[in-house]
Amino acid sequence: MAKFDLTSKMGQYLDRHLVFPLLEFLSAKGIYNETELLKAKLDILSKTNMIDYAIDIRKQLYPDEEIPDDLKQRRNHVVSQLQELQQEVEPILTVITDEEVMKNMESMRDSKTLINFLSKDYKFEIEMIDSLHKLAKYRYECGNYSVSTSYLYFCLLVLPPNDKNYLSVLWGKFASEILYQNWDSALEDLNKLREYIDSNPNQFSGNSLHLLQQRTWLIHWSLFVFFNHAMGRELIIEMFLYKPHYLNAIQTMCPHILRYLATAVIINRGRRSALKDLVKVIQQESYTYRDPITEFLEHLYVNFDFDGARQKLHECQTVLLNDFFLISCLDEFVENARLMIFETFCRIHQCISISMLAEKLNMNPDEAECWIVNLIRNARLDAKIDSKLGHVVMGAQPLSPYQQLIEKIDSLSVRSETLCGLIDRKLRAKTDTRWVNQDF
Amino acid sequence: MSRFFAGSDSDSDSSSEEEVIQRPVVPTYTFSDDEEEVKRVVRSAKEKRYEELTNIIKQIRNYKKIKDMSSMLTSFEEIQKAYQKAIPVINKEENGQTPRFFIRCLAEMEDFINEMWEDREGRKNMSKNNSKSLTSMRQKLRKYLKDFEEDLVKFRENPEQPDDEEEDEKVEAEPDSENEAASKNQFLKAPAKQQVVDDKEESSDDDDDWPSDSETSSTSSEDDEGKYAGKYNRKRFLKDRGPEHEDDEEKERKKDEKRKERKEKDRRKIKKEDEEDGEGEWETVRGGVAIPSEKPKMFAKDAEIDLNLVIKKLSEIMAARGKKRTDRREQIELLHELQNVSEQHQLGAAISVKIKLAIISAIFDYNPKVSDAMKPEYWLKLLERMAEMLGVLLNANNLVVSDTITEELENLEEPPYRIRGCVLTSVERLDDEFTKLLKECDPHSNEYVERLKDECKVSNIIDKTMQYLERTNVPSELCRIYLRKIEHLYYKFDPRVLQQKSGDAALKDEYTSVQEMEKLCKFIYAKDNTDRLRTRAILSHIYHHALHDNWFQARDLVLMSHLQETIQHSDPSTQILYNRMMAHLGLCAFRHANIKDAHNCLVDLMMTGKPKELLAQGLLPQRQHERSKEQEKIEKQRQMPFHMHINLELLECVYLVSAMLIEIPYMAAHEFDARRRMISKTFYQQLRSSERQSLVGPPESMREHVVAAAKAMRNGNWSACNNFIINEKMNAKVWDLFYQADQVRDMLTKLIKEESLRTYLFTYSHVYDSISMQTLADMFDLGKPVVHSIISKMIINEELMASLDDPTQTVVMHRSEPSRLQSLALQLADKINNFVDSNERILETKQGNFFLRGANQGNFRGDRQNYRGSTNQNWDRQRRDRDRNREKDNY
Repeated sequence: MAKFDLTSKMGQYLDRHLVFPLLEFLSAKGIYNETELLKAKLDILSKTNMIDYAIDIRKQLYPDEEIPDDLKQRRNHVVSQLQELQQEVEPILTVITDEEVMKNMESMRDSKTLINFLSKDYKFEIEMIDSLHKLAKYRYECGNYSVSTSYLYFCLLVLPPNDKNYLSVLWGKFASEILYQNWDSALEDLNKLREYIDSNPNQFSGNSLHLLQQRTWLIHWSLFVFFNHAMGRELIIEMFLYKPHYLNAIQTMCPHILRYLATAVIINRGRRSALKDLVKVIQQESYTYRDPITEFLEHLYVNFDFDGARQKLHECQTVLLNDFFLISCLDEFVENARLMIFETFCRIHQCISISMLAEKLNMNPDEAECWIVNLIRNARLDAKIDSKLGHVVMGAQPLSPYQQLIEKIDSLSVRSETLCGLIDRKLRAKTDTRWVNQDF
Repeated sequence: MSRFFAGSDSDSDSSSEEEVIQRPVVPTYTFSDDEEEVKRVVRSAKEKRYEELTNIIKQIRNYKKIKDMSSMLTSFEEIQKAYQKAIPVINKEENGQTPRFFIRCLAEMEDFINEMWEDREGRKNMSKNNSKSLTSMRQKLRKYLKDFEEDLVKFRENPEQPDDEEEDEKVEAEPDSENEAASKNQFLKAPAKQQVVDDKEESSDDDDDWPSDSETSSTSSEDDEGKYAGKYNRKRFLKDRGPEHEDDEEKERKKDEKRKERKEKDRRKIKKEDEEDGEGEWETVRGGVAIPSEKPKMFAKDAEIDLNLVIKKLSEIMAARGKKRTDRREQIELLHELQNVSEQHQLGAAISVKIKLAIISAIFDYNPKVSDAMKPEYWLKLLERMAEMLGVLLNANNLVVSDTITEELENLEEPPYRIRGCVLTSVERLDDEFTKLLKECDPHSNEYVERLKDECKVSNIIDKTMQYLERTNVPSELCRIYLRKIEHLYYKFDPRVLQQKSGDAALKDEYTSVQEMEKLCKFIYAKDNTDRLRTRAILSHIYHHALHDNWFQARDLVLMSHLQETIQHSDPSTQILYNRMMAHLGLCAFRHANIKDAHNCLVDLMMTGKPKELLAQGLLPQRQHERSKEQEKIEKQRQMPFHMHINLELLECVYLVSAMLIEIPYMAAHEFDARRRMISKTFYQQLRSSERQSLVGPPESMREHVVAAAKAMRNGNWSACNNFIINEKMNAKVWDLFYQADQVRDMLTKLIKEESLRTYLFTYSHVYDSISMQTLADMFDLGKPVVHSIISKMIINEELMASLDDPTQTVVMHRSEPSRLQSLALQLADKINNFVDSNERILETKQGNFFLRGANQGNFRGDRQNYRGSTNQNWDRQRRDRDRNREKDNY
């Protein structure tokens, strides 16, 4: 199972805090050794301020040992620091809690007027924003994601986009929203962040490597949103497959993301057109990354090897079952993959025996027949069942040459007409009226 | 200025002759002079005056060398004045005896002027200013010489007598006061006599001229030879003997002088310090054993050879570098000698490096023309010196050689040593010379093989330089040397890579050339800031990957580098490298059964019909003076040395076979298609030329084989096709050139079967109503799943109007192929469609974008699909087009 686990690959592009859900998931699945996972967790925690949590894990790991003093000391230190920071930004905190003012603020889009307004009425100084930023970071480190979200929101309102902290505020906000599981605003932040990265490539001072890194992070972080938000499946294809910058980043830095992209395309019935593009990318990257899901697509759409596809589909299920992001769409995936196999099958075949089909789809024959009947009834398939022989016979639909011809010349007259009309209009606009009556 | 106008080539050639005579004198003078100056701080009046004189004499000699008449004239006037000043001293110290060196100078000048005057040809070519000066000089000199007639005559009797004698004479001549008076008289009378003596002097002048005259003639004859020698190498060798003789004589003479000088020095030294003297003597004796007697002597026999002395000597030799009259060969020898001396006295690493640098540059200088290769004997010497120098550099830790160190900052005496010079440039030059040398040789001769053996040494030198430069760690320099290394590495095949890839356990940890390339190239990618080095590194890197069957890495590098767009703007040699890279990429794709990619890589090279030229593996025969001499020379310089050549027949064969595998099924599928395009022009040409023949015999050449195979494939006869492509003849000619030939052959057979099956189905599907897949599998000797997959693909792509019947395992044809009338109607519709499209486009270009480009929207997606390759137009234009059509139909 561990063979197809991507956590270690993903981990390097995620924030410490974002790795926790993944580790929790893994320990629930029990693929890895429990103590090793705990150790990993502890390791990650050591750089954060979530001391209590660290103490808990320590207890789990070494039930006999005492909690070391430095942890306790650090805890006190963290608390005192927090208070200190809190005092520094007291005025802002009062503003934030005041709903009336917040509403006012939101209506002001320009950060300059906003700052003026704040400094006039609420003893606000621009230096405070720095402290607030620090405080938000501190809160985030302590695991208070919701508080940190609101702080960062304030920061975003006040800071002009060219501020040096703006990017880190954006990232921080995005991470907190994800961890707070507030997917709507997370998606909003994702878009904001992406726009910011794409529109200001110069801020990385022409360092394309840096830019690439930012994009790679964004790709990984966005997985949380895409597989939890209702719109995510649509958007993931849009972003990963049809934004050259991001496809490029995937191909160069993290081809393992192809798994998620492939899954998203498969479960998205409306986007069959994307398959073609995806298969091309998969083929191109087949030497750097392959897993059952990409191989499934390859078998089905490159080699037309239905047996291979069936086998891979079987493997896919276990992969999905053990993937943090994909586990929720397992059923959908299986259903759609079956449909894909069947569709392709029907396109090629004229007559299929149900038993063979059932075997290819990992179903029993009765179930398969039922499934096909449903498909036919929903008018998604032009076919008939020969129940005596147990065959499905496709409705023949070869395009006759006559039809082809009609199709080809169908639009011609309309196009010519519009062309004529356009020229006519142009001429009339350009020349005197005497030209109007004249033919040309 | 006069250097420029110095006249014809022959003049400059003759210079070596004259210079030989004069030069030995110069060093002795400066040498002894310097010695004295350093030691004595307080100078007598005599010293002062004499020094003045000698300085001017030196100048005159220099002008003589470069034939600068006008400057010489001024110097002559100066010397007259200086002598005037010196007269009292002379009278006092030497009893009025005119110093011998002065007389010598006058005599030489006279000879020189006469010689110049005699050389009418040369005089004509002289610049106006110079010739004017020459005439006035001649007259003035003649007048002036009358005063010294007696001395001159004396001098000419015994010209070889060294000048030092003057000092000896001085001692002897002291009581001889009559002499003094006589000379004084003579001097005073001279102006009065002048008119009378004129005639007489003229005649005596003539007499004097005689020997020098003969000299000029000998030079001129030499000149002629020299001229020819430039053209015919053979003659040059013959000619060599002449100067050598003279050199020997020369050396003899010089030795004499040296010996005398030495004697004199001895005497002086004995007075000063006995011990030192003894030491010096001891050392020279040792030297005498080591140095063969013909070699020129550097220093006085018992001179105390220390660092300063050697440096001085070195700078003296180096000062002559690049001057017209310097004999380059002798310079090399002198430097070698100096090197021996310094080694014997163990003067330290710094000086030996310095001398070696000087030798290396002297050897580089030896060849006056940049385009010619150097002589093998010098090449060998160069290699040795370079290796030695790098050895020293690597062993010494406290030694810095850099071109940023100025002469003043040089420190040769104590660590840390600093030396001015650039090892890197020398190594680069050496590498270039090596390529030149290889190109000079006939590639099929033993000579070439011999030369090629030096490749190891050159690589070794580059390795050492790398080591050395890694110590200083200057990125730009490292990039340069890495690139050199890469250029020696990239075309070499390392079988270990493939063995390692196939999982040979013994080689698992071995450091292969691919890894080395990776390391070097990555450094250059990261650190280089000139675009050229990086481009070349990328190209070589791709080449190397392709050579070792790392198809994916090579392909990704090509696509990511986006070199296809910019390569037209780079320099020719980089373009050549690009072409070579593409050729190998094509071969690699072919080995990996990526026929389309192979075809697309090679099509640009082969389409023009002159891959030989594009790969710089030979010039095409001249057609109607397409290029001038100059151009041809430049092109010749760009040629690749033979051992780096890519086999053109292999290249062409691979191209034609891949064209066949693509084209034949395509032709069969689009037999009646009006819009059918040629995929490969060259392949068509081959086909057509064979069709034109009334009688086709059995295939002989590689091309005929491919054509015959293509014809067999057209009929779906895979075994015949296979036999034409893979047989003994073709194996010997082409396929055995691949490293893993059997794999390639297997791959080819498989592809031929598959494509034959496709062609068969395209061509003969209309005669079948249904056909069993098993039959097809048997016919084409393929597995049933493969047949199933191929047919499925064809059905999905709507190339084949058929569908499968699963229970009976047959392919059922739909028989929906249009009748003749229908297909004509379809063609007409297509044409009308095109017509409307072009109408719209015309309007669009005229009036801006008014139309929704409904028809084109599909295309954008097509472009996006492989955006990575989208910029590479040739990469898979075909495939994309086809996909696009397919896609439109599907969705």
